[in-house]
Amino acid sequence: MKYYWTRFCPSYPQTIIYMLQCSEYRPKDYFAWLHRSTNFRLVMKRRKLDYTRKAILMLAVAWFILITTYIISLILFIQSIILVNLLFAILAIILFIISPLVIAYGIAVPLWLGQKFIQEPKERKMIEAARQIIVKHPALKIAVAGSYGKTTAKEILQTILSQGKRVVATPGNMNTPIGISKFVQTFDGSEEIIIFELGEERVGDVRKLCDLTHPDIGIITGINEAHLSSFGTIDHTIATIFELEDYLGDKPLYKNRESQLVASKIKDSDKLAFSRNGINGWQISDIKTDIHGTTFKAKKDSKTILAHTKLLGFHNVGIIATAISIADFVGLTPAQITAGIKETEPFEHRMQPKHLHGAWVIDDTYNGNSEGVQAGLLLLKELEAKRRVYVTPGLVEQGDKTREIHEKIGKQIAKVADVVVLMRNSVTDYISDGLHDGKFGGQLLIIDDPLEFYNNLDHFVVGGDVVLMQNDWTDNYA
Amino acid sequence: MNKTVAVFFGGRSTEHDISVITALSSVIKPLELMKKYNVIPVYIAKDGKWFSDDKLKDISIFSGGAIDEFCAKSKPLAVVFDSGMTFRKSGLRNKDIRIDIAFPAMHGPYGEDGSLMGLLRMAGIPFVGSDMAASVIAMDKVLTKQVVQANDISTSKFVFFSKAEFEADRDKIIKRVINDLKFPQFVKPSHLGSSIGITKVNNKDELVNAIELAAYYDNKIIVEEAVENLIEVTVPIMGNETLTLALVEKPLSHGDDFFDFNTKYMSGGKKKSGAKQTGAQGYSELPAKLPNGLYEASLDIAQKVYRATGCEGISRIDLLIDSKSGIVYFNEINPLPGSLYAHNWRASGISSIELVSRLVDLAEERFARNQKLETTFSSSFLKQF
Repeated sequence: MKYYWTRFCPSYPQTIIYMLQCSEYRPKDYFAWLHRSTNFRLVMKRRKLDYTRKAILMLAVAWFILITTYIISLILFIQSIILVNLLFAILAIILFIISPLVIAYGIAVPLWLGQKFIQEPKERKMIEAARQIIVKHPALKIAVAGSYGKTTAKEILQTILSQGKRVVATPGNMNTPIGISKFVQTFDGSEEIIIFELGEERVGDVRKLCDLTHPDIGIITGINEAHLSSFGTIDHTIATIFELEDYLGDKPLYKNRESQLVASKIKDSDKLAFSRNGINGWQISDIKTDIHGTTFKAKKDSKTILAHTKLLGFHNVGIIATAISIADFVGLTPAQITAGIKETEPFEHRMQPKHLHGAWVIDDTYNGNSEGVQAGLLLLKELEAKRRVYVTPGLVEQGDKTREIHEKIGKQIAKVADVVVLMRNSVTDYISDGLHDGKFGGQLLIIDDPLEFYNNLDHFVVGGDVVLMQNDWTDNYA
Repeated sequence: MNKTVAVFFGGRSTEHDISVITALSSVIKPLELMKKYNVIPVYIAKDGKWFSDDKLKDISIFSGGAIDEFCAKSKPLAVVFDSGMTFRKSGLRNKDIRIDIAFPAMHGPYGEDGSLMGLLRMAGIPFVGSDMAASVIAMDKVLTKQVVQANDISTSKFVFFSKAEFEADRDKIIKRVINDLKFPQFVKPSHLGSSIGITKVNNKDELVNAIELAAYYDNKIIVEEAVENLIEVTVPIMGNETLTLALVEKPLSHGDDFFDFNTKYMSGGKKKSGAKQTGAQGYSELPAKLPNGLYEASLDIAQKVYRATGCEGISRIDLLIDSKSGIVYFNEINPLPGSLYAHNWRASGISSIELVSRLVDLAEERFARNQKLETTFSSSFLKQF
């Protein structure tokens, strides 16, 4: 109640729409955030409202609700004076006081109506049209599913296969039915290979996307606790991602043997299970990684590929090996594959190294899973450094495993880092406990304002530092 | 409660602008990031008025030119010496800000030369950097050379004279310089830094013009004989009793070329195309690659100079090396190096935050040490009147 007054700030309607937008207009996530929030002046910290058409419309509705509430309140108040009626005065005051709640909850009604009667029918049409285009399209269709590593796998495949084929892939995080349908509208018919990233948050999501994309080849990049809050149990996550296998039947499905939860469902005889050791007859050897990239040798029969990628870390080798295998299958020469691998480089905010005043900063802030944390720590351990600095706010959406996962991460960090920087939030104590259990003897900094830290990193680093920044903690998890 | 640190910058000096950068980028920001101090900017305008406002922590007020309007509209600070130092901001209600620690981020006269240190000594508060006496010595190139020579440290040959002496009898001064020193020579104002007013000369005509230029900035002029086979290096040092040495740094210039103000600060150090850029101003080799033994010799001489001149807190010692003879000559001291030479400290393993943190600690350490000294003496002298 201390900050109830912040709901009367002029920016409050904008904040409400910002919360809706960040929650992707999902009422459950929006209400959960709304109920968590106290001081509404501090909600928009990391970003601002993106004024899309939908956001502008919702903002107008919010203001309409607010102004209507005020007008009714004012009429009641005037009536109370004219009629000398105390009840009207009390009602007017109560209505004024609860006006912020009227917007916060009232906005859900037009949102639901709009989604039910306008958006959903329109989207159904668009998805069906896209499905028809995909069914008739002669291109080889590759679907990439998994809790993590999808975007990296997609980018690697596209870069390598593009050396000999006309390849398109879902841009950014367009991995929902509507996102993919919009992507399909860009096709001109000349595509030879289409790579679809399949997003998943709820049971049945992958199945729906398979029905839409009709893949010929599948890749499962890994499974972990991501989106556990929406899946409920890890078994639901596994079942959802393996909906790809159910759909493909006898068609090829590449599975990441290095992911523990995927490995549990792989048979020893499965030739398409990939790891840094190789895949489908391709033997990998001589792996080396440093701040400038990763090198290794891939050999199958008479074909040899000396691979050099600017991607950092051993964990990329398995998926590059998969891309080699697929590229070989679609007819690319070893020279083309080698050239393709050479062009792969770190993506924005994913193991992206930057030089800063004599230090190396590896930006892996788009990473959001415990496997990524392990891969990052393994890389940090491998790299030459005067000080190894590890920066994280922790992982979001870990459900009831939040404590266990963060304590484990704390222990893992303790073995590698000299300096640990944590962004203060609900998991900070769990990581600190893990550090303590792991007998961390270095320096621990706990930062209240992550943006200030990131923007002033140059004041924290010294020459010879390697700073690994992992994970992101956006406003909607505050 | 957090201690209040006042960061002094600007000032009635030709190095006013450099001071603004030092304060804003290398002092205020890291101090604030420590979350340990209440940081107060104290801007001394070019006309000597003092101002304090959070707006002065933002470079845009200076780079956008709004500072003149700010100074015209704002009321200057009043200073109260109340067994310490308190700033009084006048308004509808006066606001008093009591200062616990002063952090001078000033370069050149009326700031780095001991003037401000004297004031802070009088106020009786801890302050960062060298004390008044060392600052006075360090900011006078002639006096510094005399002090280090008395401590058996080599310096290049030099001649000095006052502006009045030069104006009274130019020929006599020129003759003296030419008789005592070989060309090429460097003509410098005795009290300025950041290479302002410094000219390299190769003949008599150039010498006369250079002295006129130096006399425009200062009342005391020094002419130095250029060191042959020159390697120029600089060594930042930090500490009171126990010293921490940063890396020996080599500006990438040659005997026929030197870095004036514009080259150092305005063009990113790009005097020559293809120059290696590693320093803060992008014109240095860090650490310096020096022939056998000269790296260690430079560190040794730099420490001796620091001790001989009584520096404390932080300083940067500039040295000239004759690469053939291996002689390391003292050149000059910067008691408050531009931007604290944070790039060098960073390369040495000390972050900007740790640097300012240590400097504040050193200031408090010296203050505590000085507090133990007896400053009163009981006598019956006054009773006889």
